[in-house]
Amino acid sequence: MTRKTLFLTAALGTLAAGFILSGPARAQASVAQALSAGAAGEQSDGYLGVTGSASPAVRAEVEAINIKRRAAYTDLAAKRGVTVADVAAATGCQTLASRVKPGQVYRIGTGPWQTKGNDPIALPAYCATAGQ
Amino acid sequence: MRETFEERKALRAWFAVPLLCVTASCITVKAPDKPIEINLNVKVQQEVVVRLQKDAQELIENNPELFPE
Repeated sequence: MTRKTLFLTAALGTLAAGFILSGPARAQASVAQALSAGAAGEQSDGYLGVTGSASPAVRAEVEAINIKRRAAYTDLAAKRGVTVADVAAATGCQTLASRVKPGQVYRIGTGPWQTKGNDPIALPAYCATAGQ
Repeated sequence: MRETFEERKALRAWFAVPLLCVTASCITVKAPDKPIEINLNVKVQQEVVVRLQKDAQELIENNPELFPE
């Protein structure tokens, strides 16, 4: 490798890193807005979902987050010797139990989107002690 | 009239028929044509998910960018 190609590679790398780093912050801002607007919400399966009112941009960001979530679930599943779906479901129990705020929407299984009130969400039976 | 030996034998056989039928119907055990299945999947999944709650909580805390609020 010549010096020139090395320099070029480094420059491209820095550029790519810049994009990657600036990505999540932007994604989070508009997904957070979508969450409070009811355009996106947590699902019991451990992933984010979008409702009918979500914009294409929000949909794309939700999809990007879900891909990263799946990667994180896959890592943990391999460490614990369980399926990715089990890790995802366990995480879904946690998000529904403690992260969805009143006024935000959520969905259990393939059921309808529901708006959280002031009471805790009625979790699926397999969550058992998630709220405690 | 005294029954001959042959007659007695025939009579005994005659009585034995219904007795056999009843007994046969009582103790007949048919092997099931399908294997017996016990579905434990639901319980196993529940146990796994419960065991993973702490891990899931940590996963959320360690990856805040994946769990916007």
